[in-house]
Amino acid sequence: MTTPESSLPHSSPRKDAASVDELRQRLRSLGYLDAGVDRFVLGPARETRRPLTIAALASVRTGLLAAALLGPAAAVGLRTRLPGLMTGPRDAAVVALYLALFFGVAATAFAFVASLLATHLPLPVIARRPRLVSRLAGGAVGGACLVYLTLWWRIASVDAAALSPLWTAFVLAIAVAISLLLGHATTITAFAVLAASHGGPGQPAVPRQSAWRLTAAAAVLAFAGAAALLLVAAPAPAGTPAPNLAVVSPGLHVKLIAIDGFDPAVMETLAQSGRVPGLARLFSGGAIRLAADAVRDPAREWTTVATGQPPDVHGVHGLETRRVAGLQGSVTSVHEQGLASALRGATDLLRLTRPSTASGTELRSKTIWEVAADAGLRTAVVNWWATWPATSTGANPPVVISDRATLRLERGGALDGEIAPEAVYDRLRADWPVIKTEAAARMAALLPVAADPETSAALRRAAEIDALQLAMASRLDSPPLDLLALYLPGLDIAQHALLGSGNAVSPSALAARLEGLRNYYVYLDGLLREAIVPAPGEMVIAIAQPGRIATITQGLMAASGEGAAGGVGADGRTIDIAPTVLHALGIPVSRELAGTPILGIFSSAFVARFPVRDVETYGRRAAPAGLREGQPLDREMIERLRSLGYVR
Amino acid sequence: MAAPAFFSEYQSSVEAELRRLVPEGRDPVPRSMAYTALAPSKRVRPVLTLLCAELCGGRAPAALPAAAAIELVHAASLILDDLPSMDDAPMRRGRPTNHKVFGEAIAILAAFALLNQAYGTVARAYEPDMAARLASLLSDSVGIEGLVGGQAADLLATDQQIDFDMLERIHRGKTGALFVAAATSGALAAGGPADAVASLAAYAKNLGLAFQIVDDLLDVEGDPAQTGKAIREDVRKTTFVSFSGVAGARQLARELCETADRALHPFGGRADRLRELSRFVAGRSM
Repeated sequence: MTTPESSLPHSSPRKDAASVDELRQRLRSLGYLDAGVDRFVLGPARETRRPLTIAALASVRTGLLAAALLGPAAAVGLRTRLPGLMTGPRDAAVVALYLALFFGVAATAFAFVASLLATHLPLPVIARRPRLVSRLAGGAVGGACLVYLTLWWRIASVDAAALSPLWTAFVLAIAVAISLLLGHATTITAFAVLAASHGGPGQPAVPRQSAWRLTAAAAVLAFAGAAALLLVAAPAPAGTPAPNLAVVSPGLHVKLIAIDGFDPAVMETLAQSGRVPGLARLFSGGAIRLAADAVRDPAREWTTVATGQPPDVHGVHGLETRRVAGLQGSVTSVHEQGLASALRGATDLLRLTRPSTASGTELRSKTIWEVAADAGLRTAVVNWWATWPATSTGANPPVVISDRATLRLERGGALDGEIAPEAVYDRLRADWPVIKTEAAARMAALLPVAADPETSAALRRAAEIDALQLAMASRLDSPPLDLLALYLPGLDIAQHALLGSGNAVSPSALAARLEGLRNYYVYLDGLLREAIVPAPGEMVIAIAQPGRIATITQGLMAASGEGAAGGVGADGRTIDIAPTVLHALGIPVSRELAGTPILGIFSSAFVARFPVRDVETYGRRAAPAGLREGQPLDREMIERLRSLGYVR
Repeated sequence: MAAPAFFSEYQSSVEAELRRLVPEGRDPVPRSMAYTALAPSKRVRPVLTLLCAELCGGRAPAALPAAAAIELVHAASLILDDLPSMDDAPMRRGRPTNHKVFGEAIAILAAFALLNQAYGTVARAYEPDMAARLASLLSDSVGIEGLVGGQAADLLATDQQIDFDMLERIHRGKTGALFVAAATSGALAAGGPADAVASLAAYAKNLGLAFQIVDDLLDVEGDPAQTGKAIREDVRKTTFVSFSGVAGARQLARELCETADRALHPFGGRADRLRELSRFVAGRSM
């Protein structure tokens, strides 16, 4: 005779234990042992029997689940796609809240519609097979959720090439779990609605209090998991430590002068008549020809110059951005058309977004002055695009006079990242009246007076800006800098004001404007006369870009001074400028850079003595972190750029 | 484990109501009906109905017809279940099965009569709206998603290897459906709100499966003198014990009873009797 157990399958204790666990899971999947989600979802519908009310109340709970789970998860993806949007944990939390709201509303609507459809479709199967129908409704919601999450991950992980398959599997497992949960929530909602509509058996839900605890615990866990994902999956916000960059110094000090709105043809004409001797000496000897970017956006182009990376890599896609309410970061909003433009208008109207300009929060690649500072060199930058907020940290911080510095110096008050280090602001602020007087004197001496008042005003405005930048730069050179990068927007501003409006003008007026513009070249030549003459041990590299006038298709790069070759004449790319400057400073060139040094601008002796060295990486740029301080100048900056024709 | 002390009070009410509804008489069909319906029993299902009604603020007498109807349906299912064409069981509740005493034809008629008596009872005892809802509940618990469907699946599964889902399907139909109907009808008869009905349905669903698992266990290791039926009757069938072993089945039954208790959380201490009921189900030996 056999014992009761010996005749049964699965009789070994080890196997029993395994099968009990398995059976427990199976029972759960069949609706036994655990009904926490059911209780949570159907809890609010406890006092009612009206199908519509049950559908609405339960769908809201489904939406809450979706909000808690999908909000943080989507923030992970958004951070990867829009690196400038989130500058720290606070921004991440705000974005997660926005997305939670969005997904909560969407899931509520979806669950509501799905459960009502399942109830109201005139199909006999609905009354006959309520469980099947409610499962189909849940399957539709869960399936849609999974498809969305999968596609989202595909898009979000485009830049994250280093993600391992294991990590992706983990993320997708979370997506599956979320989808199953939301699908299940919709299933029981639909079933409850069906039960109320057709008088079926008791609803599959249970009570309130224990449900809250269970669900709250699950929500906290899910939120923590998604938050961990947010921190781990997104690009490191603090930046990776700079590698040890061994400088083999050629002993050069490099002055990088960037002139925007420059037309080589105009300069050539003026050079032939002897009106711009300084610029002619610099550029006419055979400069490197640079193909202009098809997208004429100063922030985009000059950031490419400063980083040696294309916009997709450095992250600054355009001057106009949108700042989302509650966030410090911003997103690019240029070249939007149709629906995107309408959406931008709507969110602006609702005060959810507001116009802003390109800034360092979007910048993902290190600039030449940041790399040089990492390499232990003394650097300074004046008025370059996307340099606000100025950050100046580390053992050898660069001096940053950002593109908002002039505004701050005019208005005074506490710094909000316009200049760094703060001591430089104190010095410049004290000198500001002198700087202004100096700039005015230079303008009076160098800028020919235009007959047309409108032309004259445009030229004077542009001229003052350039003179101020140059005056500030001249105050930074003691002790001598290894690298000074100076951006002069005046020519582009003048050119855009005089020729870029698109309004029809009479031939005589146009002639006057063209003459005014030519006069600006003459002014610039005088203004830069000393700056472009290299001091002993100095190399001056001038970059001239066409600016916003689309008819000019070529920029120029020229070098003079020690180590520079005379009369080159070759083609180069904008992305080659940064590695060229870094090589001139004796810094190895990162293999991550898109461009390569233009050796043609260097003398043969320099090239022979200092071969190009390379390094794996410059490290990841540290995003400007922390809450903003001081008095913001966001609105003033927008107004200023609008008045200069930069933003619409 | 003996039935909770409060059981006898409820059992008496149910017995009295059943006696009123199923008078023995002299004709074979009424006698056959009474033979099974009035046979000694724990009356777990109707007691569950009364307890749920009280928990939802109703009075037990108001729910008594619903409770009796549940027990009548249960009695009918037992008669049909024991038939030669079904399980062909010789003993039930310590006595020969109905068809052994009255013959197969009378037993079938008695089962149908009990079912009709159940529907008639709720139709006569309640207002039309409530009667319709209770009748709908009974219909669901008897129909293809309930006893009939469960029994059919059980018959088809005899001598067959079945999977766990099929086993659950059988038990849900044969036991769980009527447990859920018992709890839900009590709550509905007392005018309980939707969440209370849902809570008690969840309680009953878990309790019903626990009850069936314990039944499987008693078939393996029970005392025939206490259970009232021969052990190892289900040897040709796949049971929970087949899947998880005796210890595993006992563990699952305990967990199901604990889950059932958790479903009572909103009722607080007022649901202690239902908690005692689940403890009794988990530990019962008959």
